[in-house]
Amino acid sequence: MTNIIDIKNVHKYFKQNEVLKGVNLSIKKGEKIVIIGASGSGKSTLLRCINRLEEPTCGEIYFNDKLISEIDPYEHDDIIKKSKTYARLLSNNMSEEEALDTIKNNHLLKPIKEGKEYKNSIKKYLNDNYLDITVARSKIGMVFQHFNLFNNLTVLENLTLAPVELKLMNKEDATKKATELLKRIGLLDKKDEYPSKLSGGQEQRIAIIRSLCMNPDVMLFDEPTSALDPEMVGEVLSLMEELTSSGLTMIIVTHEMAFARKVASKVIYIDNGIIQEEGTPEEVFDNPKNPRLKDFLSKVI
Amino acid sequence: MKFFQDLVEIITTAEYRNYILEGFLNTLGITFIAVVIGLVLGFLVAIIKVFARANKALAIPNTICNIYTTVFRGTPVALQLFIFVFALFAIPGFKVYAVILCFGVNSGAYVSESIRAGIMSVDGGQMEAGISLGLSEIKTMKKIILPQAIKNVIPAIGNEVIALLKETAIISMVGSTVGTLTFDLNQASSTISYAISDFFAPSIIAALFYLVVVYLFTFLIKIFEKELHKSDKHN
Ligand SMILES: Nc1ncnc2c1ncn2[C@@H]1O[C@H](COP(=O)(O)OP(=O)(O)OP(=O)(O)O)[C@@H](O)[C@H]1O
Ligand SMILES: [Mg+2]
Repeated sequence: MTNIIDIKNVHKYFKQNEVLKGVNLSIKKGEKIVIIGASGSGKSTLLRCINRLEEPTCGEIYFNDKLISEIDPYEHDDIIKKSKTYARLLSNNMSEEEALDTIKNNHLLKPIKEGKEYKNSIKKYLNDNYLDITVARSKIGMVFQHFNLFNNLTVLENLTLAPVELKLMNKEDATKKATELLKRIGLLDKKDEYPSKLSGGQEQRIAIIRSLCMNPDVMLFDEPTSALDPEMVGEVLSLMEELTSSGLTMIIVTHEMAFARKVASKVIYIDNGIIQEEGTPEEVFDNPKNPRLKDFLSKVI
Repeated sequence: MKFFQDLVEIITTAEYRNYILEGFLNTLGITFIAVVIGLVLGFLVAIIKVFARANKALAIPNTICNIYTTVFRGTPVALQLFIFVFALFAIPGFKVYAVILCFGVNSGAYVSESIRAGIMSVDGGQMEAGISLGLSEIKTMKKIILPQAIKNVIPAIGNEVIALLKETAIISMVGSTVGTLTFDLNQASSTISYAISDFFAPSIIAALFYLVVVYLFTFLIKIFEKELHKSDKHN
């Protein structure tokens, strides 16, 4: 119940290319997770699966114990047991366990041919557990490498658009909140500027508070400082560090190892689409076990 | 000198002046309504095509749209005009509507491609940022993508309107007689030409009318574009 995000056996294919190869990860409320790994290892893809900017090919994502991805019947033994295929395997003298394994390992379920009971059990599960992704997204902030501020809106409009459109706040409250946050990051004087008039560091800090205006439970950061000139990295990292003192759950993909060591409650090393190692910063940075992680660390530190 | 005599004759003869005026107004009217049809249709088709990329439910509408744009951009307008007037809508008294519909539907095919290209030219990160905040794709499209796309699309739409205005000159191919709504500027000029047995002066007059409209319209588009770029202050 204390898990805010559960990633269950997520696989992601781009065409034939398997980029995530079965990721399992549970994240507790308030945790600061830093994800590291070489370029192309699947860090962004994993992060983007969490708010479904990418659709997991199989596996499931839960947010506050609610299913926010599509249902993957292979993750539910009780649903499989309602299927005709399962009944057929049992009648062929298979044991229950064998039948389950056979179905899971060979992906034997046929979505439309498993009978009414199977369909109803899926329906019931979704009824009890499904949360619409757009609702979840309003509680899961995302910060992008390239900021993605809305180019046609002023800074203030960028901050208030979503809360007002989604009727989470009225215009005045949203403006008040946005103004407070702008003041906090020292950019109140930019409120009527368009994004093209800002530096990268300013854009990224505004992108961060744009998410904060939604009062998110979780924030995802995908290499938030990678597109910045070196002299602007500091201002963004210090704002992020400030956020870590709140109860906000943060999942951060970054190559800033010193920052990771400082703020992470857990560091996760991904390689080849799989979580190869996870632990406290001390465990991962000072006592890496995986040889590829050792190699990776020797290159980036 | 015959040319100037002809000019004077056309200008001083009420009947000829009325031909020109009638033709000019019909040309403008037909173009205008066809443009409106083209914009509405083009916009709808573009939106369907854009959303169909991520939405399997739109596969069939998308296919229909693709067939539509391919067919109408891949065949001559003159041929489409014959088909509309003499086959699809060969209904007495319906000719001018068939003509307008034909130009509108033809224009929609081109407009849809311009709008689609305009939407695609907006950075994909804009849509991702919108939906990541919990906004729907449609809302993000409306509030973020389209306002940015429109700037890229206006010049292309302007060109399409100009092309359409000039294309209406082929109306006479399906027959246009004085006093009907299909009597366009080009037909006015050729009617006068036959009456005075010379094509030069009437054609020049018609050409001037086309030119002036195109010029004014180009000018308006330029102002409009400037306004759009001014209002968002960037670039
Ligand atoms: N939309 C896509 N279509 C096809 N392949 C993709 C797509 N997105 C990512 N990939 C591929 O998936 C693999 C993992 O990409 P991903 O962006 O998740 O890596 P990453 O760990 O974030 O790398 P980096 O540190 O460079 O950002 C790469 O091989 C990439 O080419
Ligand atoms: Mg990445």
